[in-house]
Amino acid sequence: MIDTLLLPFQYEYMLKAICVSGLIGGVCAFLSCFVTLKGWSLMGDALSHSVVPGVAVAYQLDWPFAAGAFVTGLLAALGMGFVKTKTRLREDAVIGVVFTSFFALGLLLISLFPARVDLRSIVFGNILGISDPDILQVLIISGVTLVVLGLKWNDLKLFCFDPNQARALGINTTVLHFTLLTLLSATAVAALQTVGACLVVAMLVTPGATAYLLTDRFGIMIGIAVSMGIGSSLAGAYVSYFFDGSTGGCIVTLQSALFVLALVFGPKHGLLAARAKRRAAFLA
Amino acid sequence: MSKESAELELQVRNVTVGYPNGNIALRDATFHLSAGCICALVGINGSGKSTLFKAVMGFVRPIRGEVLISGQPVKTALKRNQVAYVPQSEEVDWSFPVSVWDVVLMGRYGYMNFLRISRAEDRRIAAESLSRVGMLEFRERQIGELSGGQRKRVFLARALAQRSRVILLDEPFTGVDVKTEGTIIELLRELRAAGHIILVSTHNLGSVPEFCDQVVLVNRTVLAFGPTVEIFTEANLARAFGGTLRHFRFDESTVQKHDGRSVTVLTDEERPLVFGKGGHLEYGQRAGRESVVEQRAEPEDGP
Repeated sequence: MIDTLLLPFQYEYMLKAICVSGLIGGVCAFLSCFVTLKGWSLMGDALSHSVVPGVAVAYQLDWPFAAGAFVTGLLAALGMGFVKTKTRLREDAVIGVVFTSFFALGLLLISLFPARVDLRSIVFGNILGISDPDILQVLIISGVTLVVLGLKWNDLKLFCFDPNQARALGINTTVLHFTLLTLLSATAVAALQTVGACLVVAMLVTPGATAYLLTDRFGIMIGIAVSMGIGSSLAGAYVSYFFDGSTGGCIVTLQSALFVLALVFGPKHGLLAARAKRRAAFLA
Repeated sequence: MSKESAELELQVRNVTVGYPNGNIALRDATFHLSAGCICALVGINGSGKSTLFKAVMGFVRPIRGEVLISGQPVKTALKRNQVAYVPQSEEVDWSFPVSVWDVVLMGRYGYMNFLRISRAEDRRIAAESLSRVGMLEFRERQIGELSGGQRKRVFLARALAQRSRVILLDEPFTGVDVKTEGTIIELLRELRAAGHIILVSTHNLGSVPEFCDQVVLVNRTVLAFGPTVEIFTEANLARAFGGTLRHFRFDESTVQKHDGRSVTVLTDEERPLVFGKGGHLEYGQRAGRESVVEQRAEPEDGP
Protein backbone atom coordinates (compact mmCIF):
# COMPACT_ATOMS: atom_id res chain seq x y z
CA MET A 1 0.00 0.00 0.00
CA ILE A 2 2.65 2.47 1.10
CA ASP A 3 4.79 1.40 -1.80
CA THR A 4 1.96 2.25 -4.17
CA LEU A 5 1.44 5.64 -2.56
CA LEU A 6 5.15 6.43 -2.82
CA LEU A 7 5.33 5.21 -6.40
CA PRO A 8 5.02 8.67 -8.06
CA PHE A 9 8.06 9.89 -6.14
CA GLN A 10 10.27 7.28 -7.77
CA TYR A 11 9.99 8.97 -11.13
CA GLU A 12 12.05 12.09 -11.66
CA TYR A 13 9.49 13.54 -14.06
CA MET A 14 6.74 13.14 -11.44
CA LEU A 15 8.87 14.77 -8.73
CA LYS A 16 9.62 17.71 -11.01
CA ALA A 17 5.97 18.00 -12.02
CA ILE A 18 4.77 17.98 -8.42
CA CYS A 19 7.31 20.56 -7.23
CA VAL A 20 6.86 22.93 -10.18
CA SER A 21 3.07 22.71 -9.87
CA GLY A 22 3.26 23.53 -6.18
CA LEU A 23 5.43 26.57 -6.85
CA ILE A 24 3.22 27.88 -9.65
CA GLY A 25 0.10 27.17 -7.59
CA GLY A 26 1.47 29.24 -4.71
CA VAL A 27 2.55 32.19 -6.88
CA CYS A 28 -0.75 32.24 -8.77
CA ALA A 29 -2.67 32.10 -5.49
CA PHE A 30 -0.73 35.06 -4.05
CA LEU A 31 -1.56 37.08 -7.14
CA SER A 32 -5.16 35.83 -7.17
CA CYS A 33 -5.87 37.86 -4.01
CA PHE A 34 -5.14 41.08 -5.90
CA VAL A 35 -6.89 39.87 -9.04
CA THR A 36 -10.17 39.11 -7.26
CA LEU A 37 -10.13 42.29 -5.18
CA LYS A 38 -9.24 44.51 -8.14
CA GLY A 39 -11.96 42.87 -10.23
CA TRP A 40 -9.49 41.71 -12.84
CA SER A 41 -10.65 38.09 -13.17
CA LEU A 42 -11.76 38.60 -16.74
CA MET A 43 -8.47 40.36 -17.42
CA GLY A 44 -6.60 37.29 -16.12
CA ASP A 45 -8.60 35.08 -18.45
CA ALA A 46 -7.88 37.42 -21.36
CA LEU A 47 -4.15 37.58 -20.69
CA SER A 48 -3.79 33.82 -20.31
CA HIS A 49 -5.35 33.29 -23.74
CA SER A 50 -3.49 36.18 -25.33
CA VAL A 51 -0.07 34.70 -24.58
CA VAL A 52 -0.74 31.70 -26.85
CA PRO A 53 0.43 33.26 -30.18
CA GLY A 54 3.58 34.45 -28.42
CA VAL A 55 4.32 30.94 -27.17
CA ALA A 56 3.77 29.52 -30.65
CA VAL A 57 6.10 32.03 -32.29
CA ALA A 58 8.72 31.63 -29.55
CA TYR A 59 8.90 27.85 -29.97
CA GLN A 60 9.09 28.30 -33.71
CA LEU A 61 12.05 30.67 -33.43
CA ASP A 62 13.69 28.83 -30.53
CA TRP A 63 13.26 31.77 -28.18
CA PRO A 64 12.45 31.28 -24.53
CA PHE A 65 8.69 30.69 -24.54
CA ALA A 66 8.25 33.23 -21.73
CA ALA A 67 9.68 36.05 -23.85
CA GLY A 68 7.25 35.49 -26.69
CA ALA A 69 4.31 34.99 -24.38
CA PHE A 70 5.15 38.08 -22.47
CA VAL A 71 5.25 40.24 -25.60
CA THR A 72 1.84 39.16 -26.88
CA GLY A 73 0.32 39.29 -23.38
CA LEU A 74 1.41 42.88 -22.99
CA LEU A 75 0.33 43.72 -26.56
CA ALA A 76 -3.12 42.38 -25.72
CA ALA A 77 -3.28 44.41 -22.50
CA LEU A 78 -2.24 47.57 -24.33
CA GLY A 79 -4.67 46.77 -27.15
CA MET A 80 -7.53 46.44 -24.67
CA GLY A 81 -6.58 49.71 -23.00
CA PHE A 82 -6.39 51.46 -26.38
CA VAL A 83 -9.73 50.16 -27.71
CA LYS A 84 -11.42 50.96 -24.39
CA THR A 85 -10.33 54.62 -24.30
CA LYS A 86 -10.97 55.22 -28.00
CA THR A 87 -14.41 53.67 -28.36
CA ARG A 88 -17.68 53.70 -26.52
CA LEU A 89 -17.62 49.92 -26.03
CA ARG A 90 -17.90 48.55 -22.54
CA GLU A 91 -14.89 46.90 -20.99
CA ASP A 92 -16.22 43.34 -21.10
CA ALA A 93 -16.90 43.62 -24.82
CA VAL A 94 -13.43 45.02 -25.45
CA ILE A 95 -11.78 42.22 -23.46
CA GLY A 96 -13.92 39.61 -25.23
CA VAL A 97 -12.99 40.86 -28.69
CA VAL A 98 -9.28 41.36 -28.07
CA PHE A 99 -8.42 38.15 -26.25
CA THR A 100 -10.30 35.87 -28.62
CA SER A 101 -8.49 37.55 -31.53
CA PHE A 102 -5.15 36.75 -29.96
CA PHE A 103 -6.16 33.22 -29.02
CA ALA A 104 -7.47 32.53 -32.53
CA LEU A 105 -4.24 33.84 -34.03
CA GLY A 106 -2.32 31.51 -31.72
CA LEU A 107 -4.38 28.47 -32.75
CA LEU A 108 -3.90 29.38 -36.39
CA LEU A 109 -0.12 29.68 -36.01
CA ILE A 110 0.13 26.37 -34.19
CA SER A 111 -1.97 24.58 -36.79
CA LEU A 112 0.19 26.05 -39.59
CA PHE A 113 3.47 24.91 -37.98
CA PRO A 114 2.50 21.75 -36.14
CA ALA A 115 5.93 20.13 -35.99
CA ARG A 116 7.50 22.40 -33.42
CA VAL A 117 4.79 22.76 -30.78
CA ASP A 118 1.95 20.63 -29.65
CA LEU A 119 -1.41 22.38 -29.52
CA ARG A 120 -2.59 20.13 -26.73
CA SER A 121 0.30 21.01 -24.43
CA ILE A 122 -0.35 24.75 -24.78
CA VAL A 123 -4.11 24.64 -24.42
CA PHE A 124 -4.26 21.92 -21.76
CA GLY A 125 -0.77 22.09 -20.26
CA ASN A 126 1.89 19.41 -20.12
CA ILE A 127 3.61 19.57 -16.78
CA LEU A 128 4.68 15.92 -16.94
CA GLY A 129 6.75 16.64 -20.01
CA ILE A 130 8.23 19.97 -18.89
CA SER A 131 11.80 20.50 -20.07
CA ASP A 132 14.62 21.78 -17.87
CA PRO A 133 14.97 25.14 -19.70
CA ASP A 134 11.21 25.64 -19.24
CA ILE A 135 11.54 24.85 -15.53
CA LEU A 136 14.27 27.48 -15.29
CA GLN A 137 11.96 30.07 -16.87
CA VAL A 138 9.18 29.15 -14.46
CA LEU A 139 11.62 29.50 -11.53
CA ILE A 140 12.73 32.96 -12.68
CA ILE A 141 9.16 34.20 -13.23
CA SER A 142 8.03 32.85 -9.86
CA GLY A 143 11.05 34.29 -8.06
CA VAL A 144 10.58 37.78 -9.50
CA THR A 145 6.82 37.72 -8.85
CA LEU A 146 7.26 36.61 -5.25
CA VAL A 147 9.88 39.29 -4.58
CA VAL A 148 7.77 42.09 -6.07
CA LEU A 149 4.58 40.97 -4.31
CA GLY A 150 6.44 40.38 -1.05
CA LEU A 151 7.95 43.86 -1.05
CA LYS A 152 5.05 45.90 -2.40
CA TRP A 153 1.93 44.06 -1.26
CA ASN A 154 0.90 46.92 1.01
CA ASP A 155 1.06 49.40 -1.86
CA LEU A 156 -0.80 47.00 -4.14
CA LYS A 157 -3.43 46.45 -1.43
CA LEU A 158 -3.97 50.20 -1.19
CA PHE A 159 -4.06 50.43 -4.99
CA CYS A 160 -6.80 47.78 -5.15
CA PHE A 161 -8.77 49.24 -2.25
CA ASP A 162 -8.55 52.98 -2.82
CA PRO A 163 -6.47 54.13 -5.81
CA ASN A 164 -7.37 57.76 -5.08
CA GLN A 165 -5.83 57.58 -1.62
CA ALA A 166 -2.72 56.04 -3.19
CA ARG A 167 -2.52 59.02 -5.55
CA ALA A 168 -3.18 61.46 -2.74
CA LEU A 169 -0.16 60.00 -0.95
CA GLY A 170 1.96 60.77 -4.01
CA ILE A 171 2.27 57.07 -4.99
CA ASN A 172 2.54 56.54 -8.75
CA THR A 173 -0.55 54.44 -9.47
CA THR A 174 0.26 54.07 -13.17
CA VAL A 175 3.42 52.21 -12.19
CA LEU A 176 1.44 50.00 -9.79
CA HIS A 177 -1.17 49.33 -12.47
CA PHE A 178 1.43 48.15 -14.95
CA THR A 179 3.33 46.24 -12.29
CA LEU A 180 0.23 44.23 -11.49
CA LEU A 181 -0.54 43.76 -15.20
CA THR A 182 3.01 42.60 -15.90
CA LEU A 183 2.98 40.15 -12.99
CA LEU A 184 -0.35 38.86 -14.21
CA SER A 185 0.94 38.14 -17.73
CA ALA A 186 4.17 36.64 -16.42
CA THR A 187 2.35 34.34 -14.01
CA ALA A 188 -0.16 33.39 -16.68
CA VAL A 189 2.78 32.24 -18.80
CA ALA A 190 4.19 30.15 -15.95
CA ALA A 191 0.81 28.61 -15.19
CA LEU A 192 0.35 27.78 -18.86
CA GLN A 193 2.93 25.04 -18.36
CA THR A 194 0.96 23.33 -15.63
CA VAL A 195 -2.71 23.65 -16.43
CA GLY A 196 -2.77 25.08 -19.96
CA ALA A 197 -4.22 28.28 -21.36
CA CYS A 198 -7.82 27.30 -20.74
CA LEU A 199 -7.46 26.73 -17.01
CA VAL A 200 -4.90 29.39 -16.08
CA VAL A 201 -7.65 31.75 -15.02
CA ALA A 202 -8.80 29.21 -12.41
CA MET A 203 -5.36 29.28 -10.77
CA LEU A 204 -5.45 33.09 -10.87
CA VAL A 205 -8.92 33.50 -9.37
CA THR A 206 -10.18 30.49 -7.41
CA PRO A 207 -7.75 30.56 -4.44
CA GLY A 208 -8.30 34.30 -3.91
CA ALA A 209 -12.06 33.96 -4.30
CA THR A 210 -12.13 31.07 -1.82
CA ALA A 211 -10.03 32.91 0.74
CA TYR A 212 -12.21 36.01 0.32
CA LEU A 213 -15.21 33.96 1.47
CA LEU A 214 -13.34 32.80 4.56
CA THR A 215 -11.87 35.96 6.07
CA ASP A 216 -12.19 39.71 6.50
CA ARG A 217 -8.45 40.33 6.82
CA PHE A 218 -6.19 40.88 3.86
CA GLY A 219 -3.11 39.23 5.41
CA ILE A 220 -5.09 36.13 6.38
CA MET A 221 -6.67 36.07 2.93
CA ILE A 222 -3.21 35.86 1.35
CA GLY A 223 -2.21 33.10 3.80
CA ILE A 224 -5.29 30.99 3.05
CA ALA A 225 -5.05 31.50 -0.70
CA VAL A 226 -1.36 30.61 -0.90
CA SER A 227 -1.73 27.51 1.28
CA MET A 228 -4.66 26.42 -0.82
CA GLY A 229 -2.80 27.10 -4.08
CA ILE A 230 0.29 25.16 -3.03
CA GLY A 231 -1.65 22.33 -1.39
CA SER A 232 -4.11 21.77 -4.22
CA SER A 233 -1.36 21.93 -6.86
CA LEU A 234 0.90 19.46 -5.06
CA ALA A 235 -2.00 17.12 -4.38
CA GLY A 236 -3.48 17.50 -7.85
CA ALA A 237 -0.21 16.72 -9.60
CA TYR A 238 0.37 13.74 -7.29
CA VAL A 239 -3.12 12.32 -7.71
CA SER A 240 -3.00 12.71 -11.48
CA TYR A 241 -0.39 9.92 -11.56
CA PHE A 242 -2.93 7.39 -10.27
CA PHE A 243 -5.83 8.62 -12.36
CA ASP A 244 -3.58 8.88 -15.35
CA GLY A 245 -5.64 11.97 -16.00
CA SER A 246 -4.91 15.58 -16.93
CA THR A 247 -2.77 17.27 -14.27
CA GLY A 248 -4.44 20.63 -14.88
CA GLY A 249 -7.84 19.02 -14.58
CA CYS A 250 -6.92 17.42 -11.25
CA ILE A 251 -5.54 20.64 -9.76
CA VAL A 252 -8.40 22.86 -10.82
CA THR A 253 -11.06 20.30 -9.82
CA LEU A 254 -9.51 20.17 -6.36
CA GLN A 255 -9.51 23.98 -6.13
CA SER A 256 -13.13 24.14 -7.25
CA ALA A 257 -14.08 21.58 -4.62
CA LEU A 258 -12.42 23.70 -1.94
CA PHE A 259 -14.26 26.75 -3.26
CA VAL A 260 -17.61 24.96 -2.98
CA LEU A 261 -16.78 23.91 0.58
CA ALA A 262 -15.95 27.51 1.50
CA LEU A 263 -19.09 28.74 -0.23
CA VAL A 264 -21.33 26.40 1.75
CA PHE A 265 -19.58 26.08 5.10
CA GLY A 266 -17.68 29.40 5.36
CA PRO A 267 -17.98 30.53 9.01
CA LYS A 268 -19.00 34.10 8.25
CA HIS A 269 -19.88 34.52 4.58
CA GLY A 270 -20.87 30.93 3.76
CA LEU A 271 -24.39 30.01 2.65
CA LEU A 272 -25.17 28.08 5.84
CA ALA A 273 -23.88 30.89 8.05
CA ALA A 274 -25.96 33.43 6.12
CA ARG A 275 -29.01 31.24 6.54
CA ALA A 276 -28.42 30.88 10.28
CA LYS A 277 -28.00 34.64 10.54
CA ARG A 278 -31.27 35.25 8.71
CA ARG A 279 -33.04 32.80 10.96
CA ALA A 280 -31.58 34.40 14.09
CA ALA A 281 -32.66 37.84 12.86
CA PHE A 282 -36.14 36.47 12.18
CA LEU A 283 -36.49 34.96 15.63
CA ALA A 284 -35.09 37.99 17.45
CA MET B 1 0.37 79.34 15.02
CA SER B 2 3.68 78.32 13.49
CA LYS B 3 5.36 80.27 10.72
CA GLU B 4 4.76 77.47 8.25
CA SER B 5 1.01 77.49 8.76
CA ALA B 6 0.85 81.22 8.12
CA GLU B 7 2.20 80.57 4.63
CA LEU B 8 -0.31 77.87 3.75
CA GLU B 9 -2.25 78.83 0.66
CA LEU B 10 -4.24 77.10 -2.07
CA GLN B 11 -4.21 78.78 -5.46
CA VAL B 12 -6.15 77.65 -8.50
CA ARG B 13 -5.16 79.73 -11.52
CA ASN B 14 -7.01 79.66 -14.85
CA VAL B 15 -7.48 75.91 -14.69
CA THR B 16 -9.01 74.40 -17.83
CA VAL B 17 -9.67 70.67 -17.90
CA GLY B 18 -10.72 68.67 -20.94
CA TYR B 19 -11.79 65.06 -21.32
CA PRO B 20 -10.26 62.62 -23.84
CA ASN B 21 -13.37 62.95 -26.03
CA GLY B 22 -12.63 66.65 -26.49
CA ASN B 23 -15.29 68.09 -24.18
CA ILE B 24 -14.19 70.84 -21.86
CA ALA B 25 -15.32 70.07 -18.31
CA LEU B 26 -14.05 73.24 -16.72
CA ARG B 27 -12.81 76.49 -18.21
CA ASP B 28 -10.57 79.14 -16.64
CA ALA B 29 -11.35 78.26 -13.03
CA THR B 30 -9.65 80.63 -10.62
CA PHE B 31 -9.86 81.00 -6.85
CA HIS B 32 -7.58 81.07 -3.85
CA LEU B 33 -7.87 80.16 -0.19
CA SER B 34 -5.60 80.97 2.70
CA ALA B 35 -4.89 79.15 5.95
CA GLY B 36 -7.72 78.57 8.41
CA CYS B 37 -10.86 78.30 6.35
CA ILE B 38 -13.66 75.91 5.53
CA CYS B 39 -14.67 76.38 1.93
CA ALA B 40 -17.66 74.84 0.18
CA LEU B 41 -17.43 73.87 -3.46
CA VAL B 42 -20.99 74.24 -4.68
CA GLY B 43 -22.54 73.31 -8.00
CA ILE B 44 -24.94 70.89 -9.65
CA ASN B 45 -23.93 67.46 -10.97
CA GLY B 46 -22.06 67.93 -14.22
CA SER B 47 -21.04 71.48 -13.33
CA GLY B 48 -17.37 70.50 -13.29
CA LYS B 49 -17.38 70.53 -9.49
CA SER B 50 -15.84 67.08 -9.19
CA THR B 51 -13.42 67.87 -12.01
CA LEU B 52 -12.23 70.92 -10.10
CA PHE B 53 -11.91 68.70 -7.05
CA LYS B 54 -9.81 66.22 -8.99
CA ALA B 55 -7.64 69.00 -10.37
CA VAL B 56 -6.91 70.24 -6.85
CA MET B 57 -5.96 66.65 -5.91
CA GLY B 58 -3.74 66.38 -8.97
CA PHE B 59 -5.82 63.46 -10.35
CA VAL B 60 -6.46 65.22 -13.66
CA ARG B 61 -3.91 67.34 -15.44
CA PRO B 62 -5.26 70.71 -16.61
CA ILE B 63 -4.82 71.61 -20.29
CA ARG B 64 -4.08 75.13 -19.12
CA GLY B 65 -3.52 76.79 -15.79
CA GLU B 66 -2.09 75.46 -12.55
CA VAL B 67 -2.91 74.50 -8.99
CA LEU B 68 -0.42 75.61 -6.36
CA ILE B 69 -0.32 74.65 -2.70
CA SER B 70 1.87 77.04 -0.72
CA GLY B 71 3.46 77.99 -4.03
CA GLN B 72 4.33 74.38 -4.92
CA PRO B 73 2.77 72.27 -7.67
CA VAL B 74 0.21 69.73 -6.40
CA LYS B 75 2.49 66.80 -7.22
CA THR B 76 5.15 68.09 -4.81
CA ALA B 77 2.50 68.81 -2.19
CA LEU B 78 1.16 65.24 -2.45
CA LYS B 79 4.65 63.79 -1.96
CA ARG B 80 4.96 65.89 1.20
CA ASN B 81 1.67 64.56 2.57
CA GLN B 82 0.14 68.01 2.42
CA VAL B 83 -3.18 66.94 0.93
CA ALA B 84 -5.63 64.46 2.44
CA TYR B 85 -8.83 63.25 0.89
CA VAL B 86 -12.06 61.83 2.29
CA PRO B 87 -13.84 59.90 -0.48
CA GLN B 88 -17.52 59.78 -1.23
CA SER B 89 -19.12 56.67 0.31
CA GLU B 90 -20.12 55.31 -3.11
CA GLU B 91 -16.49 55.18 -4.21
CA VAL B 92 -15.42 52.76 -1.47
CA ASP B 93 -15.56 48.96 -1.76
CA TRP B 94 -17.09 48.22 1.66
CA SER B 95 -16.65 44.46 1.38
CA PHE B 96 -12.88 44.78 0.96
CA PRO B 97 -11.11 42.67 3.60
CA VAL B 98 -9.64 45.50 5.67
CA SER B 99 -10.33 46.56 9.24
CA VAL B 100 -10.91 50.07 10.55
CA TRP B 101 -7.36 50.01 11.87
CA ASP B 102 -5.91 49.03 8.45
CA VAL B 103 -7.75 51.93 6.81
CA VAL B 104 -6.49 54.51 9.28
CA LEU B 105 -2.92 53.21 8.96
CA MET B 106 -3.22 53.80 5.20
CA GLY B 107 -3.19 57.49 6.05
CA ARG B 108 0.33 56.97 7.39
CA TYR B 109 1.77 55.18 4.32
CA GLY B 110 3.41 58.39 3.13
CA TYR B 111 5.48 58.49 6.33
CA MET B 112 6.41 54.81 6.29
CA ASN B 113 9.40 53.19 4.61
CA PHE B 114 9.54 51.32 1.29
CA LEU B 115 7.86 48.25 2.81
CA ARG B 116 5.13 50.32 4.53
CA ILE B 117 5.84 48.87 7.94
CA SER B 118 4.26 51.01 10.64
CA ARG B 119 6.40 52.40 13.44
CA ALA B 120 5.23 53.10 16.99
CA GLU B 121 4.76 56.76 16.03
CA ASP B 122 2.44 55.80 13.14
CA ARG B 123 0.36 53.59 15.41
CA ARG B 124 0.18 56.27 18.08
CA ILE B 125 -1.08 58.87 15.60
CA ALA B 126 -3.54 56.39 14.06
CA ALA B 127 -4.98 55.55 17.49
CA GLU B 128 -5.17 59.23 18.41
CA SER B 129 -7.00 60.04 15.15
CA LEU B 130 -9.48 57.21 15.70
CA SER B 131 -10.27 58.32 19.22
CA ARG B 132 -10.69 61.90 18.00
CA VAL B 133 -13.64 60.76 15.88
CA GLY B 134 -14.82 58.38 18.63
CA MET B 135 -14.12 55.20 16.66
CA LEU B 136 -11.20 53.68 18.59
CA GLU B 137 -13.31 50.89 20.05
CA PHE B 138 -14.28 49.76 16.54
CA ARG B 139 -10.68 49.34 15.35
CA GLU B 140 -10.94 45.58 14.76
CA ARG B 141 -14.19 45.78 12.76
CA GLN B 142 -14.26 45.08 9.07
CA ILE B 143 -15.28 48.38 7.45
CA GLY B 144 -18.48 46.98 5.94
CA GLU B 145 -19.82 46.22 9.43
CA LEU B 146 -20.14 49.91 10.28
CA SER B 147 -23.06 52.29 9.89
CA GLY B 148 -22.96 55.10 7.33
CA GLY B 149 -21.89 57.68 9.87
CA GLN B 150 -19.23 55.44 11.40
CA ARG B 151 -17.79 54.70 7.95
CA LYS B 152 -17.46 58.38 7.23
CA ARG B 153 -15.75 58.98 10.57
CA VAL B 154 -13.19 56.24 9.86
CA PHE B 155 -12.16 57.91 6.61
CA LEU B 156 -12.04 61.25 8.38
CA ALA B 157 -9.69 59.63 10.92
CA ARG B 158 -7.53 58.46 8.04
CA ALA B 159 -7.28 62.03 6.78
CA LEU B 160 -6.39 63.19 10.30
CA ALA B 161 -3.72 60.50 10.59
CA GLN B 162 -2.17 61.83 7.42
CA ARG B 163 -1.52 65.16 9.21
CA SER B 164 -2.17 67.15 6.03
CA ARG B 165 -2.62 70.90 5.94
CA VAL B 166 -5.17 70.73 3.13
CA ILE B 167 -8.13 68.37 3.52
CA LEU B 168 -10.70 67.68 0.82
CA LEU B 169 -14.06 66.08 1.60
CA ASP B 170 -16.35 64.80 -1.13
CA GLU B 171 -20.03 64.94 -0.14
CA PRO B 172 -19.29 64.33 3.56
CA PHE B 173 -22.92 64.42 4.68
CA THR B 174 -24.49 61.96 2.28
CA GLY B 175 -25.87 58.92 4.11
CA VAL B 176 -24.73 60.27 7.46
CA ASP B 177 -26.77 60.50 10.68
CA VAL B 178 -27.35 63.81 12.44
CA LYS B 179 -24.94 62.96 15.25
CA THR B 180 -22.09 62.25 12.84
CA GLU B 181 -22.87 65.39 10.88
CA GLY B 182 -22.44 67.31 14.13
CA THR B 183 -19.19 65.49 14.94
CA ILE B 184 -17.79 66.18 11.47
CA ILE B 185 -18.68 69.87 11.56
CA GLU B 186 -17.23 70.21 15.05
CA LEU B 187 -14.00 68.56 13.92
CA LEU B 188 -13.73 70.71 10.80
CA ARG B 189 -14.05 73.82 12.94
CA GLU B 190 -11.21 72.61 15.17
CA LEU B 191 -9.07 71.99 12.09
CA ARG B 192 -9.88 75.46 10.78
CA ALA B 193 -8.85 76.93 14.11
CA ALA B 194 -5.57 75.04 13.78
CA GLY B 195 -4.94 76.73 10.43
CA HIS B 196 -5.91 74.02 7.95
CA ILE B 197 -7.57 74.62 4.59
CA ILE B 198 -10.70 72.50 4.26
CA LEU B 199 -12.44 72.16 0.94
CA VAL B 200 -15.86 70.50 0.99
CA SER B 201 -17.64 69.46 -2.17
CA THR B 202 -21.36 69.42 -1.49
CA HIS B 203 -24.79 69.77 -2.99
CA ASN B 204 -26.30 70.17 0.46
CA LEU B 205 -26.93 73.92 0.26
CA GLY B 206 -28.47 74.29 3.68
CA SER B 207 -25.41 73.11 5.53
CA VAL B 208 -23.10 75.57 3.77
CA PRO B 209 -23.93 78.76 5.72
CA GLU B 210 -23.89 76.73 8.92
CA PHE B 211 -20.21 75.85 8.83
CA CYS B 212 -18.45 77.15 5.72
CA ASP B 213 -16.92 80.61 5.84
CA GLN B 214 -15.91 80.57 2.16
CA VAL B 215 -17.76 79.45 -0.95
CA VAL B 216 -16.70 78.65 -4.50
CA LEU B 217 -19.65 78.53 -6.91
CA VAL B 218 -19.03 76.30 -9.91
CA ASN B 219 -20.83 76.01 -13.20
CA ARG B 220 -18.41 75.04 -15.97
CA THR B 221 -16.12 77.67 -14.46
CA VAL B 222 -15.79 79.43 -11.12
CA LEU B 223 -18.75 81.81 -11.12
CA ALA B 224 -17.86 83.48 -7.86
CA PHE B 225 -15.77 82.88 -4.77
CA GLY B 226 -15.34 84.57 -1.42
CA PRO B 227 -16.95 84.80 2.02
CA THR B 228 -20.22 82.87 2.28
CA VAL B 229 -22.23 85.93 3.31
CA GLU B 230 -21.24 87.81 0.16
CA ILE B 231 -21.37 84.93 -2.31
CA PHE B 232 -24.44 83.02 -1.16
CA THR B 233 -27.04 85.31 -2.67
CA GLU B 234 -30.18 84.33 -4.48
CA ALA B 235 -28.86 85.87 -7.70
CA ASN B 236 -25.57 83.95 -7.57
CA LEU B 237 -27.26 80.66 -6.71
CA ALA B 238 -29.70 81.12 -9.56
CA ARG B 239 -26.69 81.47 -11.87
CA ALA B 240 -25.02 78.39 -10.45
CA PHE B 241 -28.06 76.17 -10.42
CA GLY B 242 -30.11 77.55 -13.29
CA GLY B 243 -33.66 76.31 -12.93
CA THR B 244 -32.81 73.14 -11.05
CA LEU B 245 -33.60 74.35 -7.53
CA ARG B 246 -37.09 73.95 -6.18
CA HIS B 247 -38.50 77.21 -4.85
CA PHE B 248 -40.92 77.79 -2.06
CA ARG B 249 -41.81 81.48 -1.95
CA PHE B 250 -43.67 82.41 1.20
CA ASP B 251 -45.30 85.46 -0.33
CA GLU B 252 -46.86 83.36 -3.08
CA SER B 253 -47.66 80.50 -0.73
CA THR B 254 -50.52 79.85 1.59
CA VAL B 255 -48.39 81.10 4.46
CA GLN B 256 -50.29 84.10 5.82
CA LYS B 257 -49.33 87.52 7.12
CA HIS B 258 -46.87 88.68 4.53
CA ASP B 259 -45.91 92.25 4.05
CA GLY B 260 -44.50 92.36 0.53
CA ARG B 261 -41.06 91.15 1.58
CA SER B 262 -40.53 87.42 1.53
CA VAL B 263 -38.73 84.64 3.30
CA THR B 264 -37.46 82.13 0.72
CA VAL B 265 -36.54 78.53 1.37
CA LEU B 266 -34.31 76.81 -1.19
CA THR B 267 -33.61 73.11 -0.98
CA ASP B 268 -32.52 70.38 -3.33
CA GLU B 269 -33.17 67.49 -1.02
CA GLU B 270 -31.51 67.99 2.31
CA ARG B 271 -31.20 70.97 4.63
CA PRO B 272 -33.13 73.96 3.34
CA LEU B 273 -31.32 77.16 2.48
CA VAL B 274 -33.24 80.12 3.81
CA PHE B 275 -33.05 83.75 2.74
CA GLY B 276 -34.66 86.28 5.06
CA LYS B 277 -36.88 89.19 4.19
CA GLY B 278 -33.93 91.45 3.51
CA GLY B 279 -32.50 88.88 1.09
CA HIS B 280 -29.82 87.91 3.59
CA LEU B 281 -28.85 84.41 4.76
CA GLU B 282 -30.77 82.93 7.66
CA TYR B 283 -29.14 80.37 9.95
CA GLY B 284 -30.80 77.32 11.49
CA GLN B 285 -29.64 78.11 15.02
CA ARG B 286 -29.83 81.43 16.84
CA ALA B 287 -27.27 80.25 19.35
CA GLY B 288 -23.89 81.81 18.59
CA ARG B 289 -25.40 84.25 16.13
CA GLU B 290 -27.05 86.67 18.58
CA SER B 291 -25.23 89.59 17.02
CA VAL B 292 -26.70 88.82 13.60
CA VAL B 293 -30.21 88.70 15.03
CA GLU B 294 -29.64 91.97 16.87
CA GLN B 295 -28.30 93.72 13.77
CA ARG B 296 -31.29 92.74 11.75
CA ALA B 297 -33.84 93.37 14.47
CA GLU B 298 -34.19 97.03 13.66
CA PRO B 299 -34.91 97.11 9.93
CA GLU B 300 -37.18 94.07 10.07
CA ASP B 301 -39.33 95.44 12.85
CA GLY B 302 -39.39 98.94 11.43
CA PRO B 303 -42.42 100.47 9.74
